[in-house]
Amino acid sequence: MMNQKVELLSPAGSFESLMAAIRGGADAVYFGVAQLNMRAKSIRSFTIQDLAEISAVCKQARVKTYLTLNTVMYDHDMTLIRNILSEVKKHGIDAVIASDFSVMEMCRQLQIPLHISTQANVTNVEALKFFTPFADVVVLARELSLKQVKHITSAIIRENIRGISGELMRVEVFAHGALCMAVSGKCYLSLHEQNASANRGACTQNCRRPYKVIDLETNNELVVDNEYIMSPKDLCTIDILDQLADAGVSVLKIEGRGRSADYVYTATKCYREALSALADGTYNQVKIAMWKQQLETVYNRGFWEGYYLGRKLGEWTQDPGSAATEKKIYVGKPTHYFPKIGVAEFLIEAGSLKQGDTVLVTGKHFGAEKLTLNDFRVNGTVMPEGKKGDMITFSFPFKTTRSDKLYKIVQAKDA
Amino acid sequence: MLKIIHYRERCIGCGVCQEMQPELWRMSRKDGKATLLKAITKKEVHILEVGDWAADTAERVAEACPVKIIKVG
Repeated sequence: MMNQKVELLSPAGSFESLMAAIRGGADAVYFGVAQLNMRAKSIRSFTIQDLAEISAVCKQARVKTYLTLNTVMYDHDMTLIRNILSEVKKHGIDAVIASDFSVMEMCRQLQIPLHISTQANVTNVEALKFFTPFADVVVLARELSLKQVKHITSAIIRENIRGISGELMRVEVFAHGALCMAVSGKCYLSLHEQNASANRGACTQNCRRPYKVIDLETNNELVVDNEYIMSPKDLCTIDILDQLADAGVSVLKIEGRGRSADYVYTATKCYREALSALADGTYNQVKIAMWKQQLETVYNRGFWEGYYLGRKLGEWTQDPGSAATEKKIYVGKPTHYFPKIGVAEFLIEAGSLKQGDTVLVTGKHFGAEKLTLNDFRVNGTVMPEGKKGDMITFSFPFKTTRSDKLYKIVQAKDA
Repeated sequence: MLKIIHYRERCIGCGVCQEMQPELWRMSRKDGKATLLKAITKKEVHILEVGDWAADTAERVAEACPVKIIKVG
């Protein structure tokens, strides 16, 4: 049983994902603005001007907001950091996640709550103590076992280790999502191969490609399990969540600021339900199997439990890309919403839809919504199928906008 | 003449352009992004016409940019 409330922290790489996290039941969201975060390369990055809206949306939903400012920092970044922190303060963002000492010191001066990023690679009690004059939360290195995590959380209580606010230090760990082949994300592979530094948020995911290993002395190719020799499977802890809670973890992070809204919604919802089940004593194998099945429907590279149970070597993927059991195929975009009757109209731009099909709608006001179509109309008439060029209408509980998207959901094996 | 085009908005401020060709690039202390010196700006795209002497290095800079926002033509 849990003896404390565990906070669920979800990724928000876009307004769609932000709403998906909120609707999925996240206690807090993390996101980056401008170029000083580990997803700087993402074209969907928020801007500094978005902070006001992010803050307002989250305050209304009573969801905490954490801003990532965790790349390697150079001297030419200092003004931008100060400007971002000034906006953080102005809009009441709840904390900053950082690993560079310049950001830590500026947060201390500005009295902005600080979380130490996993990029700082905290793996022991003394390192955690070092950060107490700056922070209240430390995101531990992802390579620790639960035994090591528990050793750290026990020491916090036993030695009464308090952070800058005077509260006991809290420990955050990664619960779900992509893992890096390098220790705590400190990878030089993209830099060496494409001059794109992962530590400036420009990871090109070279580790996800297939490789051959050849002994240059003998020219023999080494026998490895598969060609994906350094692409880790995704972390999934839904079936060991009781052990994570018992290890004294305060915050569980879902990885995936680069992932889509349906992934964020499904992952957040599953972990929200699992944490609730843990709290009320109904966490069991039947539910775990159900959550895992749901998690498998969205983007994943296959699952393993990471290093938490003491494994020394990573588990690698077998295939490129996602192993999700469901695929989404773009169908069209909204053209109108009728608020009085709660009906959305879409233009089919590709493929077709039949009665009984499952669809996914993504949008900035609701994140991701999946539904089965049973009574749609085509150009105003009930029809068995709508095709490219048709206008299709069906009941939809959220107001759509023209930037939203409609997808057909199909089983991956049928795609 | 050589034309260098910089789509500055997507710059991640890594500084490789200034490292390789400091005569044409500076890292802005204001927003941390690279600035193409003496360029003219059209709709947030920065364009500089420069002599052929800069061509070899400029092409290497374009190749080195991690987010591929520098074009040389």
